Amino acid sequence: MGAAEDEAVDEHARTGDPVAGDDVVALLMRQHGEIHTLFDEVRAAEGEARAEAFRRLVRLLAVHETAEEEVVHPHARTAFDGGGEVADDRLAEEKAAKEKLTALEDMDVSDPAFVPALLSLRNAVLVHARAEERYEFALLRRTTSPARLALMAKAVRAAEATAPTHPHPGVESAAANLAVGPVAAVMDRARDAIRRTMGGGDG
Amino acid sequence: MTFNPLEQRGIPLDRQVRSWRELDVAPIDPDATDPYTRCRVITMNGIEVEAILFSHQLARHTADPEIKRSLAEVRYVEAQQQKAVNWLLPGVSSVLETTIAYEQVAVDLTAWIARMEPDPYLRQAYEFGVLEDFDHLYRYANLYEMIEHRKAESIVDGLTEVMPGRPTRMHHRHPYDNVRDPYDRTRVDPLSKLHALTVMSAEQQTMNFYMNTGPTYMEPIARQLYQEIGLIEEEHVTHYESLVDPGETWWEQLVNHEYNECYLYYSFMEQESHPKVKALWELHLNMELEHLRIACDLMRRHDGREPEEVLAPQLPNVLTFEPNKAYLRELLATQIDLTTLGAGYVREAHERFEEMQRRLNDGERPPSDRVMDQHRQVFGRDYRLETEGPHPVASERA
Repeated sequence: MGAAEDEAVDEHARTGDPVAGDDVVALLMRQHGEIHTLFDEVRAAEGEARAEAFRRLVRLLAVHETAEEEVVHPHARTAFDGGGEVADDRLAEEKAAKEKLTALEDMDVSDPAFVPALLSLRNAVLVHARAEERYEFALLRRTTSPARLALMAKAVRAAEATAPTHPHPGVESAAANLAVGPVAAVMDRARDAIRRTMGGGDG
Repeated sequence: MTFNPLEQRGIPLDRQVRSWRELDVAPIDPDATDPYTRCRVITMNGIEVEAILFSHQLARHTADPEIKRSLAEVRYVEAQQQKAVNWLLPGVSSVLETTIAYEQVAVDLTAWIARMEPDPYLRQAYEFGVLEDFDHLYRYANLYEMIEHRKAESIVDGLTEVMPGRPTRMHHRHPYDNVRDPYDRTRVDPLSKLHALTVMSAEQQTMNFYMNTGPTYMEPIARQLYQEIGLIEEEHVTHYESLVDPGETWWEQLVNHEYNECYLYYSFMEQESHPKVKALWELHLNMELEHLRIACDLMRRHDGREPEEVLAPQLPNVLTFEPNKAYLRELLATQIDLTTLGAGYVREAHERFEEMQRRLNDGERPPSDRVMDQHRQVFGRDYRLETEGPHPVASERA
């Protein structure tokens, strides 16, 4: 085994280790787990507790999806062959999920149609999350240096700290995020935090 | 119960092949379905995989091309059954989530069978094995929280407790000590034959699952834990398969396989709460009745014996997925420190056991211990789900 291969093995050991923990993939997978658990919580709760859990879910989804749109997908486009197509597929899934979320937001949490609509959203979000893990994250870990993954993680945490309200359909591209109204203003803050962290790089 | 599979008529074999549309089953919802529905799916997948593999082995030991063709025809239908059953599992579940469900099967299936097993030596074999599956559930649950940041209670839903069993590092015995004594086919209760076949098939499928999905993980600790537990599943297959009397002829074994499939589909049809899954169990039962009839004909023709000589006159009580918490706690309190010596069981670590441990561990801690170290490092505690109070063994309390 040559020196280069030795190095590759070491790098893998560091990035793949969940305890080392602060590469962007480990962080986003943690958020996937938290989102799934929040769906369980909304479904099990009633009344004001359900409304409150739902608000937290919307907030977490917003932070998570904004971070992915700003940090992960743009990087994936250039990081590996076919990255552009993979990112497009993920954005289409995000758009479909956001439309389901919009339909839910106008609904009272005690409405009998709420839980079926919630389950439909949950399914769209889980399918999207699993597809990212299988087709995008696995390749990111293979093609991106540990330092870069750590920097991306820092940016995602910066976005987390700005706590935007909720995602907005039709703003899946980084460019379009600049243009939209008050909700998007919150997302702008997340985006700005990300850009600052990434040092004005390509995201 | 009065259901006698030998007296029922099934679907004629030439009408059993399904179209793509019929095979395209809708997957179960991982969060809104009874966890025991998923357990039944995983169990029947293991049973169908064994049916396929056994039929292939039988065909390889058969010279007559007409018999090979007859076996191939039934086997194709069984391959379709396996697809229809296993494709009920949803793609949104991760490998680790399915793994935890596999361990829930191993715990509650083996515990129920141990409770119902009439033969004391066979019961001891199941009681011994279940405490190991119980510990695997605990280790994977901790890996799950570490990688996916979800708690295993979202999968097992409080039906099965998650806490330490016999520590996984103690499962690495010398292979010599994994071989048990077989039952005597002429004297054993027919129910015991079904139990042995069922647990062996479930463990074999678990072994297959881990040996193939383990390397799909990127995280080093996950890869290592699947390797370690995958090796123990092989020990379990050795343990359970050695319980079956090797004096059973190929045709007798074929009849036992088909009869067991009838028994399990019937059992699961009786208790299934999910309407579409229940309909599938019923359909497959009606297919298996015909497979059983064909197997019985082969046995009569080639062994010159009546299948009734080796089978129960009617189906035993339905095999049931239900919580076994009190039973498992009793086993934890009394058998956690057992190991095997030859075909029996002892409490002390003997020379062969210790030599095996030395060679495997080579001065280091095994992955099943390191996963707990890493988990504690991140969370400051281990993950466990103790719904019935503290651990029955004081030294295993959190």
